[in-house]
Amino acid sequence: MRTVKKPVTESAPIISISGLTKSFANTDYYVLENVNLSIQRGEFFILLGPSGCGKSTLLNIVSGFIEKSAGEMSVDEEEVHKPGRNRGVVFQQADAALFPWLTVKENVEFGLKMKKVPKNTREQASAHYINVVGLQGHEGKFPRELSGGMKQRVQLARVLANDPDILLMDEPFGALDAMTRRTMQTELVRIWKETNKTVIFVTHDIQEALLLGQKVGVMSVGPSSNIETIYDISLPYPRSFSDKEFSLLYHKVQSHFD
Amino acid sequence: MGGVRNKVIDRKEAFQKSKQPTGFLKKLIHSGVVAWLLVFLIWSIASSVSDPQFLPSPLAVWKGAIDLSQDGSLSLYISVSFLRVISGWILGNLAAIPIGLLIGRISLLRALFDPVINFVRFIPPLAFITLFMLWFGIGEQSKIFLIMYATFFIVTINTITGVQALEEDKLRSARSMGASEWQIMLHVIIPGSLPYIFTGARLAMGSSFMAIIGAEMVAANEGIGYMIWNSRLYFKTDWIFVGLVILGLMGFTMDRVFNLFGKAALKRYNVVVK
Ligand SMILES: Nc1ncnc2c1ncn2[C@@H]1O[C@H](COP(=O)(O)OP(=O)(O)O)[C@@H](O)[C@H]1O
Ligand SMILES: [Mg+2]
Repeated sequence: MRTVKKPVTESAPIISISGLTKSFANTDYYVLENVNLSIQRGEFFILLGPSGCGKSTLLNIVSGFIEKSAGEMSVDEEEVHKPGRNRGVVFQQADAALFPWLTVKENVEFGLKMKKVPKNTREQASAHYINVVGLQGHEGKFPRELSGGMKQRVQLARVLANDPDILLMDEPFGALDAMTRRTMQTELVRIWKETNKTVIFVTHDIQEALLLGQKVGVMSVGPSSNIETIYDISLPYPRSFSDKEFSLLYHKVQSHFD
Repeated sequence: MGGVRNKVIDRKEAFQKSKQPTGFLKKLIHSGVVAWLLVFLIWSIASSVSDPQFLPSPLAVWKGAIDLSQDGSLSLYISVSFLRVISGWILGNLAAIPIGLLIGRISLLRALFDPVINFVRFIPPLAFITLFMLWFGIGEQSKIFLIMYATFFIVTINTITGVQALEEDKLRSARSMGASEWQIMLHVIIPGSLPYIFTGARLAMGSSFMAIIGAEMVAANEGIGYMIWNSRLYFKTDWIFVGLVILGLMGFTMDRVFNLFGKAALKRYNVVVK
């Protein structure tokens, strides 16, 4: 039986969503209806679904950017309605999200500066996370001087510097070329392991989902979409397409969209 | 093997090509010297066949400029007009930028003021000269207010556009990194809309010149506009031309200086699009 004083156990989910429903103003349908989901601390969770099914909408609600219409959502057992430092967001379009008037280093230090962290602490943190994402040597550059993959690394470092518990990523590699995307996927797994963050990663690419996720939540085609099935992917990292189990899983997940 | 060698040679050629100075003629045309020589040529020819009171020659205008400089009136008029433009323009910017930021940021204010702004902005500053004289007297005040008016709407509208053009993701990312609304204004919205604000200020400089010359023609005892208007009384067409050339030079110089400032001091904000 649960007592009032809850010890933070392994099994207490860091994100817990129940009966979540969303319909936008001036529309007469639900984008999301009755979404139920709980995500464990440290988990790499993939939100997979076809375009337009409501993945971004759900992630934006978790981010606190938009309000749900009904249902419950809590992070660390607290209802949330606003963005917060505990949830770092990596956006799909780096150009839209980064500040082009700031250098790589200044972008990475942005959150700490807002928090009025002293300069030398800030510099330590930015140096560390620039290292983590492999951007050393580019500190003084402006985003426009970087490639697409490097810009996404900046976004990642910028978010990590705030030390959030959760990383929310909405198709962050969608705009990259195939080769860079592959590299970034590998890097992300490494960073996730190094930092022990909880990750929600949105994608419509089944391969990407199976390469990255510990769990893959498959969303149904909208409207009134929700999470249809959750797959536990127990394959060890690094994963490979040529793996037999990988292709079995691929076909299983694929069947949802046929 | 041959393919590889070809590639190397091609690269070398391309490199040399890019380093080669463009043709002398091309350079000359781009520098504007040719265009000005043409203008002077046509001007000289036209003036040689017409009455100097109707169209004075470049030389006559040059002599007129020397006449006007002798008693110091030319430099006085230049500085008077310049001071009016610059003070009204600065004040206009100081009023317009914060208001533009607020209207751009707060949709309620936008809904409230948009119709008014879009109505008043079509009334040219010159139409207000007499009214401003009535309200603020014939002294400096009315002229400075006129310049402020000429500056205000252009800068406000550009600022609003700049704020609106900012990607939602920038605001969202700042917010999720813990920035307060005030910090977002200071660290995201203002730097992000600077290119638009800068363009607005630059355009406003042009319209300020138009406004001040008009105002000085109607009601002033000093200034380039006054000089142009007054020269008519003495049939000093050459002085009118001096005024026109000075106006062009002043505008050109101010624009250049402002642009250089933008390129140097606001470089990281990318305010000057090449
Ligand atoms: N602000 C909005 N207003 C109205 N409808 C919206 C809005 N944002 C998204 N939608 C609709 O919600 C559905 C899901 O969109 P989205 O969450 O972006 O899908 P996904 O990210 O899975 O491609 C779409 O049908 C889209 O048109
Ligand atoms: Mg989406």
